[in-house]
Parts: sequence; structure tokens; C-alpha cells
Amino acid sequence: MVMQSFRDKGSRKSSAAKMWIKQELARSCWRAFPAIGAGVAQTALAIVQAFCAARLMTNVIHPGTIPLAPFILAFLSAGFMRGTLMLWQEQIATALGISARRRLRSNALTNLIGAGPGRLRGRRAAELTDVIVGEIESIGQLYSRWIPAIGLAMVSPTLIVVTAALIDPVSGIIFLITGALGLMLMSLAGMGAAATSRSQSIELARLRAHFADRIQGLSTIVLANAVEEECKTLAAALNDLRRRTARVLRVGFLSNAALDLAFATCIIGIAAHFSAKLFFDNTLAIVPRALFMFLLIPEFFAPFRAVHAVYLDRITVQKAAEKLNDLPRPIPSEPSPPPHSIRTVSTQGVSVAFENVSFAWDDRRGKILDQVSFHVPSGETMMLIGPSGSGKSTIIDLLLGHARPQSGRITINGAAIETLVPAALARLTALIDQRPFLFTATLADNIRLGHPEAGPEQVLDAAERAQVMAFARDLPDGLDTMVGEGGCPLSCSQAQRIAIARAFLKDAQLLLLDEPTAQLDQVAEHEVLESLRRLTIGRTAILVTQAVFGHEFTGRRLALGARPSAALQGVAC
Amino acid sequence: MLRTLLGIALPWKRRSLVAVFGAWVAFAALGTNIALTAMTGRFIAAAAIGTTVALPLSLGILGLALPMLRYFERLFAHDVSFRMLTDVRIWLFCRLAAGGAGGLGFRRGGIALGRLVTDVEALNTLYPRVLLPTAGAVLLVPVMLLVVGQESWLAASVVVVCFVLAGLVVLLAGFHSARAATGNTAQAIATLRVATDDALSGLREIKVSGADGMMLALVQAQEARVFRTERDFAAQRALIRAVAFLAAQGALLTVLLIHGANVTQTIAAIFVTVVAFEAIAIMPCAGVLAGHATASVTGLVDMAMTQSCAPDPPSPAILPKATALSFDHVRFRWSADHSLVFEDVSLQVPSMGRVAVLGPSGAGKSTLAALALKVVSPESGWIRLGGADIANLRAADVHKKIAYLSHTTHLFGDTIRNNLRLARRDADDAVIWEALEAVRVAHLVRALPDGLDTWIGEYGIQICGAQARRILLARTLLNLAPILILDEPCAGLDLAAQREFFDILGETLGNRSLLLVGQHLAGTERLDRVWRLQGGRLMSATG
Repeated sequence: MVMQSFRDKGSRKSSAAKMWIKQELARSCWRAFPAIGAGVAQTALAIVQAFCAARLMTNVIHPGTIPLAPFILAFLSAGFMRGTLMLWQEQIATALGISARRRLRSNALTNLIGAGPGRLRGRRAAELTDVIVGEIESIGQLYSRWIPAIGLAMVSPTLIVVTAALIDPVSGIIFLITGALGLMLMSLAGMGAAATSRSQSIELARLRAHFADRIQGLSTIVLANAVEEECKTLAAALNDLRRRTARVLRVGFLSNAALDLAFATCIIGIAAHFSAKLFFDNTLAIVPRALFMFLLIPEFFAPFRAVHAVYLDRITVQKAAEKLNDLPRPIPSEPSPPPHSIRTVSTQGVSVAFENVSFAWDDRRGKILDQVSFHVPSGETMMLIGPSGSGKSTIIDLLLGHARPQSGRITINGAAIETLVPAALARLTALIDQRPFLFTATLADNIRLGHPEAGPEQVLDAAERAQVMAFARDLPDGLDTMVGEGGCPLSCSQAQRIAIARAFLKDAQLLLLDEPTAQLDQVAEHEVLESLRRLTIGRTAILVTQAVFGHEFTGRRLALGARPSAALQGVAC
Repeated sequence: MLRTLLGIALPWKRRSLVAVFGAWVAFAALGTNIALTAMTGRFIAAAAIGTTVALPLSLGILGLALPMLRYFERLFAHDVSFRMLTDVRIWLFCRLAAGGAGGLGFRRGGIALGRLVTDVEALNTLYPRVLLPTAGAVLLVPVMLLVVGQESWLAASVVVVCFVLAGLVVLLAGFHSARAATGNTAQAIATLRVATDDALSGLREIKVSGADGMMLALVQAQEARVFRTERDFAAQRALIRAVAFLAAQGALLTVLLIHGANVTQTIAAIFVTVVAFEAIAIMPCAGVLAGHATASVTGLVDMAMTQSCAPDPPSPAILPKATALSFDHVRFRWSADHSLVFEDVSLQVPSMGRVAVLGPSGAGKSTLAALALKVVSPESGWIRLGGADIANLRAADVHKKIAYLSHTTHLFGDTIRNNLRLARRDADDAVIWEALEAVRVAHLVRALPDGLDTWIGEYGIQICGAQARRILLARTLLNLAPILILDEPCAGLDLAAQREFFDILGETLGNRSLLLVGQHLAGTERLDRVWRLQGGRLMSATG
């Protein structure tokens, strides 16, 4: 049993994710300058509006002391400008999130494709897709909301404190003190909440996952006649989760309370200050100043509230960052061998040889290939026969260069496989898999995967030879019919014939056939084997199969896993 | 939509008292805020015209009360929404279990189901961030009318029109915009998911074809669609926010221009207007959240309302003692628009018999299990258990006779003990150890520091595939059902592990009968008969 404690693993992952978030914040903050600038400009306009509004209110108290029109006009135009800036800011914030996700997704996907099937072994495609699509989507808010909000919270309140201090120094000091008090209490409460939630992180994580886990295993529960009991367990777990979360939030909400308290203190402080001032020195100039300060209070605290709101979502971003960091990466490319050993193999015939090749995907689980040797001369077909799990597909993976054997030698035309330029090896190889790969595009595009530059006649010719046309003719749009998810449903044998057409189009000299008929019934199997037989004429082929196709193919045979031992051996006869 | 809302609201009824109490706390906080502001305005105006000298004590009291009330408002709101979410989750779980969800496990992956279910989280914001603010906004309308109306009825009516625009109209606009956008985004994301999955699952062939760049471009084309919908929605959202903002500005300018008789009253009215519009500044966001929640939940509720495809009979027959399982001329398709899975299948699994059915994937092997377990019912033909047609039996009774283990059987994120007890509630530790011993993992569990209390899964220890399968086998064997159906129990395991699994199975099967379905045999199974499933029919393979 592979044991790994969740506690160690979790803390290591989360500290790596926090580090990553910090790096991204530092790297991307300059991109957010326009968004932050738009926010600061809105604050400046809000100050102008507060100024005008204070004057207009003074006119209510002491009517007729000032001309109204310029203040009304200034108030209105500042309002419109704020509205416009608001629209613009939303757009740039969205654009920030979009460009960041585009970058992250492109990097992650390039890494995964670069890592190749060997490194992705054991990871389900659906799970990787979840990270590439779902998690990266939720990371977007780091760029569209976090960074602008943090930047704004640093600049806007400063602007207000400075403006206030210039007009009335004591008010400026009140803003400064209450703001600092609010931030300090807020971070204290935040730390307290973090400590509370850390002390029960495992229980919280388990309880949070409980519902999703039971829903995933719902059919197992139904078939075990355990629905009623599980409902009770579920209710108990959810109530437990509620109580534990409430315990964390009782501390966590103190940070909101800290801001509210600072806000109220600020109002009372300003009121006390001006009441004293008005009592001792009731001049006309004091009243608009007092009103101005009152109108600034909400503007002063708004950026702090915004930061607090996005900070609450940090768990989502952090979890997403953990998963993104956890994706397999390509092995850093090995130092290239000296130039003279790089060679491409001649395309006129390919011979393949395994010499005492041993291989294990995972050292703990032992060797899947042990001392395997065989030789396939140019233009011949070799069958690798063995039950599933006996390492047949591993041989294909080794030949595709997705993994390197731990010992022994694989040669192509006598040259060791490691010394070949990977692109050259790919160019002369065609793979026909158990489940052929079809992507969402037209039939012709799917065939063209084998040779992207091929013209329509070549595609049609390959389709004819692989008997794709036998069914494509009946389709409404012929070779232009859409296939894949949501497209025209193809049967396994039809899909397999598309893969064969690809190989024809590519005119590959080395064919790797990985159980091409395993998913087919006997009739379809016969048709596909017929197309395959024609494809293999004049090419070197390695056919991996569970059954022996004595009639269709002649050539060497290698039985794998014939002995009931854990390590599988084989020598071609 | 009405049906959706009803579906959500029904399980909430029990919580309405708590919800009402939470609302009172929220209204008290809102009222305190308004009172504090009005009092400040009054005070400053009075000071300006020289009528008041000292800061009233009530200002200090309200100033202290406000953060406290807000704190309790948040605690209550969270508690209420969590209780509601708990009720909805349990309701959803029971509905899915009672409906077609048993069948969903066969057809759709449990993971897709799990992903859908995270949508239920969208309801979390409904009470604190949509319902409470909306109720507060409605309550504020008469307050505004009263406070501003004392000075000028004309100004009051303008302010209320602006208030309704900035509060309720934007709420509805946000709701509709978000509901449509959530659907579009979900669709675009689904297409992006397909493109990404295409690229990752076909990696072997993509590498050979040198099509790396092409696949990346295909994914990015779909991604661009996601971004386009997002940009459209962001523009709408920004527009709604700007409308709300401008309405607030209009209202503010209106009250600023009042020339009321009572100066302190007028200044108080201006201050209250500022705070009231600040309080409803979240309404566009509330509308978006409501639209998002409604759109997310619609699919879930529909799924929860799905009726079982194999309902229990009104008066179930008594479960027979005999344990022979037979399929007689069974014809089946998953739904009317699908092609036939079985044309005419007959199969006997006699008591203590060991039968295997082999076939390529998609041939209907799992469907055979689904039919026997009464997850679905045949179009025609009979499935008999101990001679009784299972259409006349309760599904729960059928499950008492048939234990099922497949590659999709779930190992729960729970302790080893609880995982095994799922099959037999009253199993004590001795029985559990015996089962673990039989599948040859007892020594491994003993070596764990917490033994049977060790937590399995993402938040515990990770168990490798072969051992997980054996623990699942131990669970299946704890179930004393006389018939065992194994559906590709070794998918994904290497040959050595498969052979060991079937060795263990052979030792532990006892006098149960066995129906094994799979693509091929590993060689160590002990079987009486082997059938091959092809083109919707069964053919005899090696005897």
C-alpha cells in the first residue's frame, strides 16, 4: 500500500501554491496598472463630487452664499465620468483575467503535450482536462479581481488621507488612525481564523468532500441497500461541517466587524472633531469642510471592503493553484548527444530490433518486460501475442520513444533509438490504436492528421484504400461530415478505418498496430483486418494482439506472458 | 423556472423561522445604519446653525451597535444558508437515489454527477446575498419616501423612482442577463472540455502525427469562444452597474437641490439618501448571483425529479428462497431513440453456477448487470430470480440476493472499517478482519498506525489500484448475497494482479453463484460456462 500522509502532502502543496500566487502577483501587477489607474481616477472624481455636494449642502444651511450652477455642473460631469470609467474598468479587468488564463492554459497544455503519454501514464485524461479547463477558469479572478483590488487599496485611501489632511489636518489624522486600526484588527482576526481552520483542516477537508464523494458513489450505495443509513450519515456530516465552519467563521467575521468598527469610529471621530470646531469657531468655511469629510468616509473604506471580499475567495484560487502545480511536466531535455551520432534513418525500409530489453513503469511494481529480444526485418510483420496487461502496449510505447528501457537496446535500422531525431522517427511511424483517436472535425480533417499538407485527392485516395469511402459515400456530406463529440456517430470499425486511412496517407514505413480489432465483433474484425493486410504490404509492422490471426498475417510471432510468472519474458521464435 | 424555484423552496420550509429571525437581525443592522447616518446629518446641521453643542451619547451607542449587529447578521445569515444547503443536499441525495441515479452510475460516470452536484453550492449565496438585500431594499422604499417626503414630495418621488431603478430593475436585469450567460458559458466550457479531452486522450497518435500545434490551436479556438461569451456578459454586467450608479447620482443631485424649510431635516435626508443607495449598490451583483444560482440548479432539479426507470411494483411479491438467475428472451434499449442493446438474450446462471459473458466494450455487458439488479427493466422478456419475475419484486429485495462489484464500484473517502461495513451494517471487527484476511490485505492494514480506522482517499492514505480492488472484493464478500455479479472487476490492472485477484476470488467464492462479465479472461478464473456477447445476442464460447 502506497502510504502518504495527507497532512505532509497537503502542507507541502499549499505552501508551494502560496509561493506561486506570490510570484504571479509580482509578475502580473504591472499589467494591472490601467485597471488600478481607472479605480484611482474614480476615487479622485468621487473626491470632486464630495466637494461639490458639500458646497451644495452648505447652500441648504446658509442659502444664497454661493453660486450653484458650477457645482451642479461639476457634480454631474464627474458623475458621468465615474460611470464611464466604471464601464471601462470592468472591461480591462475582464481582459486581464482572459489574457492570464490564455497564457496559463497554453503553457499547461504545451507542457502536457510535451510531457507525452509516457509521463501522463496513470493520470486519466478527464482529470487532467478538469485542471486545464475548470481550475484555470477559477484562477482567472486572481488577475481580474485580486491584483486590481490590492493595488487600489494601496493608492485610493492614501489619496483620500492626503486630500483630507490638506484641507483639515485633524480629519486627515482621524482617517489615518481609523484606517490603520481597521486594517490591523482585520489582519489579526484573519490570522485567528486561519489558525482556527488550520487546527481542523483535515476534518474540514474531509467533511467538505463528503457530499461529493457520496454522490459519486451513489450507485454503489443504492446497490448495497444503504441509502437510508447514508442519508443519516450525510446529515450528521453536514451538521458537523456547519458547526466546525461556524467555529471558524465566528473568528473570521471579526475581520468584517473590525472594518465596521473602524468605519463607525471614523464617523464619530469626525463628528466630535467638527462639533468642537463649530462650537469654538463657527465660520462659514467650516461647514462645507465638515460635510466634505463625512462624504469621504464611505469612499475611504470602500477599497478595504473590496480587498476583504476578494480575500475570502483565496481558498478557491489556492486549491486551483495547487492542482495546476501538480500537473506532470516534461522532463527537461537531456543534453543533446554529439552531432555525429544524430541521424535520420532512410525511409526505404525499416528494420526493428529489441535486444534484451527490460522495462518497469514503476520500480515498486516490478518489471513489465524482462529481457525481451526480437528482430523484425524490413517489410515483414511481427505479431506480439499475449493477454492484456502483459506488456504488449509497453513495447509500442518504447518504440514511440515515450519511455526508455532501463536496460537493453532498441535499434531501428541498426541505430539505437535514443540517437534518432524524434521528429524523424515520428515521420516514418504510423500508429493504429485499440480505440482510434477522433477529434471534433470533419472526416477529411481527421484523415489529414496523418499528413497535414496532403491535398484533397491524396485524402480521397487514402480514404478509398482504407475503405472509408465504403461508408462515407452514404453520409450526407461525404468526407466533410463532422465526427467526434456531437458529430456523426461512427462505429468502432469505421473509426478504425479512418486510422488506417491516416496511415495510408502518411505512407509510413513502420506500422505499430496496438490491438486494432480488440473492440470489434467478428464481422467488423474481418473487414478491418482486410484493410490492415493491404496496408502492411511492403511495410514493417508490429501487430500487438490477444488472438492469433493466422489467416490474415504471416510472419514472426512472439508470445508474451506465456509463463504464469510476474515478470514476463519472451524471445521470438 | 417556477418548478425549479418550487423544487428548491420545498425543503426550505422547515428553516423559515430561523430565516425570519436572521432577517430581523439584518433589518436591525440596516435600521441602525440609517439612524446613525440621519443622526449624524442632523447633528452636524444643528451644529452649523449653532443649536447643539455636545455630541449626543446616542451617536456613540449606535456607532458601537452597528458593528455588533452586522457581525450577528453575518453569523445568522451563514447559519441559515448552511442549514438550507444541508436540507437541499439531503433532499437531492435521496431523490437521486430513489430516481434514476442507480442507473446513472451505469451510464454516466459518477464524476460527471459529482461535478454537477457542486452546482448546488451556488445556492449558498441566495439567502445572504440575494434575499436579505432585496428585502432590505423593499423596506427602504417607505423609509426614503418618509424621510425625503417631509421636505419635498416631488423630490421624494424622483428619489423613489431612481431607487427602484437602482435597486429592483437592475436586480431583474442582472438576473436575466446572468441566467442566459450561465447557460452560454456552460455550453462553451463543455465544448472546450471536449477539445481538451480530445487533445489529451489522443496524445499517442497526436505525437506520432506531429499534430501538437494543431491540437493546441483547436483548443484555443474553443477557448476563444468561452472568452467571447465572458466578454459579452462582462459588458452587460458593467452596463447594469453603470445604470444603477447613474440612478444613484440622479437621486443624490435631486436631494441636494431641495430647499426644505427644516435645515437639519434636509441635511439628514441627504445623508440617508447617500447611505440608502450605498446599501443597494450590491443589487446588480445580487441579480447576477440569483440568475447564476437558478441556471445552475435547473439541471439538478430536473435530474432529481427523474423517475426511476424500473419502479417497484405496488404490491411486491415475496422474495423466493431459490437463487437461480435467468434471462428469458430479453430485449432491451436504453431509450426509444437508441438502438437495441439486446435483441433476444437468454442466459441461465444456476445456483452455485459460474458463468462468464465476454464481449467487446459497448456490447452491453454492463447492461446485463443493470438488468439483473433491476436498475432498468427490459422492453420485453423476463428476468427471473429464484423463479420469480424481478418486475414483481422490490429493487431493494433484489439487491439482497445479488452483490455487485465493477470497475466503477466506489471506494469512499472514509475509514477502512466504514467502507467495508457498507455491505453489512452489523459486521464486527472480527468479521471485517476475516474478510480482509481472505483477500490478502489484512497484513497491510495491520501495519497501518490506525488499522481499520485509517482514512482512505484524497484526505487520507492513497491505495494502489490492485489493493483497492481487493478491499472492494472484501466488501462484496461481506455481503452474504448468494449471487455475485462481477463487471470487469480488474479493468486497468496488470496481468499478475488480475491473476491474483481471480485466485483469491476462486478461494473465497464458496457456494455463491457467479456471473462474470468482461472483455477477456485472465486465465485463472474457474468457470462452468463462457458465453460471447455479439450483435445483441449470446453465443457459446469455450464450454
